[in-house]
Formats: sequence, C-alpha cells, structure tokens
Amino acid sequence: MNPRFDLHLLGWFSLLLAGLLLLPLPAALLWSETSLPWLGSAATSALLGLGVVLATRTRDRRLHPKDGFLVVTGAWLLASLVGALPFLLAGTLGPVDALFETVSGFTTTGSTVVVDTATLPRSLLLWRALTQWLGGMGIILFTIAILPLLGIGGMQLFRAEVPGPVDEKLHPRLATTARMLWGIYVGLTAAEWLGLRLLGVSSYEALCHALTTMATGGFSTRNGSIGEFGSPGVEWLVTLFMLLAGINFVLHFRLLQGRVRDVLKDVELRWFAAILGGALLVLTITLHRPDVPIGDTLRAASFQTVAIITTTGYVTADFEHWPHVAQLVLLLLMLVGGMSGSTGGGPKSLRLVLAFTSLRATIHRAIHPRAVVPVKYHGEVVEDEIISGVWGFLLAYALIGLAATGVVAAHGYDLLTAVSAAFTAIGNVGPGIGDVGPYDNFSHFPPLVKLALSFAMLVGRLEIFTVLALFSRRFWRH
Amino acid sequence: MRAVVVGGGLVGSTLAARLAADGHDVVVVEVSRDRLSELADTLDVQTVQGNGTTVEVLEAAGIGGCDVLIASTASDEANMVVALIGSAIFHVPRVVARLRDSDHERSFRAIARQLPGDHLCVNPDLAAVEKILSLLPVPGAADVASFLDGKLLIAGFPMGRNSAFSGMLLSHLRLLFPERSVLAVAIRRRDQWFIPHGEDEFREGDLVYFSISPAELDNVLELIGTRRASERRVMVAGATRVGIGVAARLEKAGIPVALIDEDRARCHEAAGELDSAIVLHGTPTDQGLLEEEGVGKASAFVACADNHQLNVVACLLARRLGAAHTFALVDNPALSGLVGEMGIDAVISPRLLTVGLAAQFVRRGRIRAAVALLEDEVELVEVDLGPNSRLTAGALGEVGLPRGVLVAALLRDGTVIVPGGGDRARPGDRAVLISTTERARELDAFVGS
Repeated sequence: MNPRFDLHLLGWFSLLLAGLLLLPLPAALLWSETSLPWLGSAATSALLGLGVVLATRTRDRRLHPKDGFLVVTGAWLLASLVGALPFLLAGTLGPVDALFETVSGFTTTGSTVVVDTATLPRSLLLWRALTQWLGGMGIILFTIAILPLLGIGGMQLFRAEVPGPVDEKLHPRLATTARMLWGIYVGLTAAEWLGLRLLGVSSYEALCHALTTMATGGFSTRNGSIGEFGSPGVEWLVTLFMLLAGINFVLHFRLLQGRVRDVLKDVELRWFAAILGGALLVLTITLHRPDVPIGDTLRAASFQTVAIITTTGYVTADFEHWPHVAQLVLLLLMLVGGMSGSTGGGPKSLRLVLAFTSLRATIHRAIHPRAVVPVKYHGEVVEDEIISGVWGFLLAYALIGLAATGVVAAHGYDLLTAVSAAFTAIGNVGPGIGDVGPYDNFSHFPPLVKLALSFAMLVGRLEIFTVLALFSRRFWRH
Repeated sequence: MRAVVVGGGLVGSTLAARLAADGHDVVVVEVSRDRLSELADTLDVQTVQGNGTTVEVLEAAGIGGCDVLIASTASDEANMVVALIGSAIFHVPRVVARLRDSDHERSFRAIARQLPGDHLCVNPDLAAVEKILSLLPVPGAADVASFLDGKLLIAGFPMGRNSAFSGMLLSHLRLLFPERSVLAVAIRRRDQWFIPHGEDEFREGDLVYFSISPAELDNVLELIGTRRASERRVMVAGATRVGIGVAARLEKAGIPVALIDEDRARCHEAAGELDSAIVLHGTPTDQGLLEEEGVGKASAFVACADNHQLNVVACLLARRLGAAHTFALVDNPALSGLVGEMGIDAVISPRLLTVGLAAQFVRRGRIRAAVALLEDEVELVEVDLGPNSRLTAGALGEVGLPRGVLVAALLRDGTVIVPGGGDRARPGDRAVLISTTERARELDAFVGS
C-alpha cells in the first residue's frame, strides 16, 4: 500500500472537484443568483487540493490493488464533503443535512432532506442533479476499472466481460473502454434531454432530470417528482431512459457494435427482464380498477416498477396508498437493483442470478450426494471463490441493512419506515415507505439517523467491501 | 498401390495387415525395434525403423512414390507432422492422420485445405461416440451401421433363447416380411462367417446380421425378443472423451444421462462441459452408488473408461443390477471375443473403428462407404454404380457375382429396393453389397466403374 501517493491522488481529485464546482456558476450568473457558494466552495476545494498535492509529493508512484479501496472510498467521501459546501454557504441546509444531501447525490441515491425545492436557488438544484450525474460517471469507471481489480463480491466475473486491467496500472485499452462507456452515458443523457424538450419540458428542468435519470439518481426539481409534470409522454420517456440506465452499459456498447444476438443471449439481461415483467404483471393486476383506464394503470405500474428496480426512485404515484401486495413487490424490487455494469444500485441482478443458480446446485447435490454440480453462468463454470464472494456480499448487505434498520427503529420510528429507509439507503434507491414514502422526505430524521443512512448509502454504492475493508485491522497491517 | 504406415501400434498394424490383404505394398515405419520385428514376423509388410517425423526416414520408407500415407502413431502432434510432410513435400495423393484432439483436428483441416491431395482425419474417440449412439436406439444389437442416407439399417443380433427366429428357415422371412424389408445378410456360427441362402436356418447362438428398413425395426426387435424402452435413461461410466461425448449428445437429444468417474478433477471438467447430465464422483463398480442412482431403471449402461477391463466388469455389475442393455469400450480383441458370452450387448473398439474408417478412405472411388462388421470378417460396401459396372450387365442372378457376395439393397430415385436374383441393377443406382473380407478384392474389381 502507498498511502502517501493515495493522498496525493485525492489532492488532485480535490482540484478536479474545484473545477466541477464552478460548473453551476454560469447558471447562477445567468439567473442572477448569488455566486458566493460556487466561488467559496471552489476556492476551498482548490486550496485543500493544492495543499495536499504539494505536501504529499513523492517519487514512489506504485499502486497496489489495496490502494484501490482507500482511493475509491476517499474519493466518494471527499466529493461528498466538498460537494456539501455550496448548500452550507448558500445557507439553505445545516451541516448534517448538507452532507446527507450530497452523499445521496454522489451515491446516486436520491433521498432528500429538502422539504420544498422551491426554496432552493435553481443553480443549487442544478448542482444537486450534477452530483448524481458525476456520481454515475464515477460508478461506471469504478465498475469497469477498479472493481475487477479488487475482485470483491463476485464481480471478478466482470473481468471477462470488459477488456480488463492486466497490470496494476490503468491499461490503455481500459481507458478506451471507459471513454466509450462514458460516451454512451453522455449520449443517452443528451438524448433524454432532447426528448424531454420535445415533450415541452423547459430546458433547465429537462437537463436536471436527464442528469438524474441516467445516473439512476432520482433527484427532481419538483417536490412531486416526475408525477408533477402530469404528462403521460414524459412519464413513458423517463421510464424508457431509467430502464436504459439500469441495463449493463457493456450491452449498450455491444448493441452499438451491432451484436444484437449477443445482447439478447445475455443471461443477466434475461433474468432482469423476467423479474421486471413479473413485478409489472403483479402490480398491474393488483392496481387495476374498473373505473380507471388500463393504460393509466399500466403506465403507473411500469413507471414505478422501473423506477424502483433501477434504483432511480422517481415517483409518479403515491404508492403508500397502493395495496400491500404492490408495496411488498416494490420493497422486494429494492433488493434486486439494476444490472451489473449499470449505474443502478442494489445487490445487482447478476449476484441474484448467481446466488439462485448456486442454490439450485445445492439442492441438486442434496438429491444426488455424489454428484459434482458446478455453478454455471453463460455455460461457463463459475469458480467457488466467486460464488462464496456473492454469498458473502449478500450476507454483508443484509447485515448492514439490518443494522441501519436498527438505528432508525431505535429512534422511535415504525418498522416499515425503518426497514424501507435502511434498504432504500443501502440500495441507493431514494424513497421508501412509511414516513419516508414517495411524497415524504428524510428531513425529520435526527442527525444520527441521517449520518447512519449516509454511511449505508456510501457502503452500498461502493459494493460494501470497498468500504468495509478499511475497517479491517489486517488492511492496515503491512 | 503403395502405402506407408507410420506407427506400428494396434491401429497401424491392423491397418497394415488389412491393406496388405487388399493387395497393397505396405511399408511400416516404427521407432521401437522390438515392435518392428514382431510386425515383420507376423505381417507381409516391409518395415523401416526410425522416427517417422523426419524426412529422411520417410524417404527411406519410399514415401516419394507412394499413394497412401497413414499417420497412426500415439501422438497427435507427430501424426500432424508426418501428414504435413507427406502432403507438402512429397504430394502424397491420400493422407490419413489419426488425431484425438478436436482442436488439433480443426487446425489440421485448416492447413490441409491449402495442400494438394485428399486428407482424412480419423478420431477414434469420435468414431466410438458415433458407434455407441447408433447402437443405443437398437437394443439387443451387437452392431449397427446405417446405409443409403439412413434408409437402410444393418444390425447384427445374437440369436437368444427368446428369439422367435431360432430354428426358422431363412426363406420364411419372406412370409413375415413380404415386402422383403427385412433380410438376413450374414451369419456367424461358431466363429465361421457366411453369407446365407434361403435354405439355411437360424440357430440359437448365431450372430445374424439383418438389413432392415427403419420402419420395420420395432417388429424385428419384437421377434428378437427385445423392445425399445418407453422411457430412455442412460448411465455412462468414465468421464473420458468418449464418455463425455456420448453424454453430451444424449443430453442434447433430451435423454436423461448420469456420468460416473472416479477422478474428481475429471468430474469437474465433465460437469463444466455438460449441462443437464448428472456427473457423479465414484467408481463405476460401486454397487451402492449404481443402485442409488437407479442403474436398475437405466435403459442402457455404457462403460467408456480408459481401463477396458474395468469396462467389462462394470457392465457385468450393471447388468446384474438390472440395466436393460450394456455396452463396453474394449480394444483388446481377445477380451472382446469373451464378452458376448457374458451378456454384454456390444463392445465398441475405437481402434478397429479407426482402422475401418482409414481403410474405407484408402479404397475410396465410387465406393461411398465401406464398413467392416464385427471382427473385420465381413464387409459392407455402399457404391455408386457407373455406366460400365459389371453389376448392371444383366439380372443380378446372372452377372456372375462371386460366391459370398450379396446385393443387400439398391437405392433408386430415393426409394430402397431389395432385389431378388431376377432384378436388374441400373447405372446410377446406389448399391449396398455385402461380402466376406477375403472376397473384398474381387468385389472391388466387380463394381469398378
């Protein structure tokens, strides 16, 4: 491990953040809003970065896989701390609230403590959307470049999918892949912005929502989220782009290469589609009312199914008043999440596919005690190491979710609120059920709960072990 | 014709003997002096001692003017080198390479396409897989081969006590099958092979080869005293290339398969390649395991382990535990001779199959397929009849077919005709002829162009 160089890198990252914090400045000037938050936070970030960069100059620039844990967790933490400054400087949110909101942004969660978005300057709402978009970009890089290297939670499988890193250094091919996937990300964002404009959404709101859709974030400029537009066209369009954002970006890339057959053969995609289809069916049936046109029910059901499984977390309907079966389905969808290699959160459908396949193999072994039954994915044998990684991940995921549930419940909240708040946080979804329902927010939580949920969001976004490893004594031993 | 055979192992020597018997001048190249002197003593062939992968040794063996080169050493790599030297440097018109690894086979084919001459890759394992798969749907048969694009089945059945044929005159077959869709074409009685006539009778203990139109198969099976299982379940012992190959083809056909091997690593490899088949870790002679996995309900038990003695033992055990039919991979001719008496349905010899395929390639011309029946004593030949073929000169009974040669079937305009002595063959027909191996040369001369 090379902590000095890690800090050095984080110093440079702080300088990058300073640049990013200047992005909303033209908007602030254009709308004659105060420019103080942007200049102030950019200057702070730049000074901090400069100081660290200069203080930690070193000749030893070797990086090891272990450094990945430190740099990645450090980067998300730093972005959240520095990114919270504008909220503080604008005087709209207190320190804990500002941190919660920014963590929720950079982890592409979308849970908010903002009671009324109308009270926030528009440049600040733009920044809020930007944190999610940048977070999503970071996640793409994290997934393809760093995750396979760290080999955690069974995501080594990804190595086979993307031309992966051979040495500890960033491979030139890896940089190319990252650029292509980012190109798709930017392209889809632009396409959604254009689509929303054509449907009559204002340029600024189209931008904010395009940014948060592609990141599967879910921050909205409206208190009532997408539902407030009252436009079926907008809802269908957003549903489509949420879905695209929740699908493995490598598949998008293949689609662009014209390898349609490969895409359709993708096992994870088939499972993802099956889960989505099943949930949609249950929701449509339970929500159907004779006096409501079936098209409206289908639209509401599709929107909410896609919004929750991709962990975007937009809302068009108050699902707290839906039948309990429908609510349960939504709650379960939170435990699926998007596909691996997407910007979606949750445990990822790939892990569920592997866990399910491994369960089936276990049952098979029970019936035929002498049988040799490997777990297979795409016709290839999956190593036991990967399977145990998946189970370890799911267990850790559940335990942290339950711990966060405990923290919320200990502060006097009902069980449904506690469970859904905890799992919406670790799954980076956004809304929950109960006191954190689709039209509620997280502002009423005490500071300790907000910090605990922020931690859960960070841990969930960084695939659990990236953060947890830092808490291990062995990690720090040389 | 001159033939050079590189590698004097079981395949090489059997093939050399076969080619020599067919009247070819054969040179065998072999590294081992001991082996070579053994060959020189028993076969009518010339021998050259040396490494066949060197140009000098091959030249010494007279590769320059030879018509056929056969690379049949134990090593794939060596066989590829020998075959490529023969093609690329000496332009041998017909080259046979024995290759076990399908990757090698693919590469060899790719290279061979760029070179002059005809090439044949024979894969003993693949040949064994094909043979087993053709045997499985014909329970009770000791040997099965299909001709005329699958429109004619030649199957050999041992006449057991339950067989309705035992004691029957051959001419009575016509009463049972007036369309002549079933014909007895060869009989082995007390180690003697003959092509039967109408006055001969079936006896218990005979091995009888029938030519059967596929539609009549179930009727024949009933008369033999077996039947096709309504529910097919196959157990395969040995995760060898043959075992995995058989299991893979069966699972693709939707038939439940269990594969047993005693080596854990091989089990893992097999489980990786197979999909729905159950791969079990254990010895094929573990009675508890076999019973637990339902060998008693298996329609077939196929022993494909590398240890051929073990195959025989496993089959005997499976048979006792209730497996309906058993098949064993056995290369040792002495061992396979015993097996029929033990109640094992059929033995499959990958090496003999290889020899058959290679010999067929060497004789190719108008001959589409030549299949040696069990023990290489009787041969079936599928041939296109040319305008000048002596077979088309008149009625079949009058063209002077050598004794011991029989026209089993003709394919004309897509329909199979079973000819009698008064029928005529026409140019353009495809004929299936059966003959004892010693008559094969006369037969070749007879059907030629």
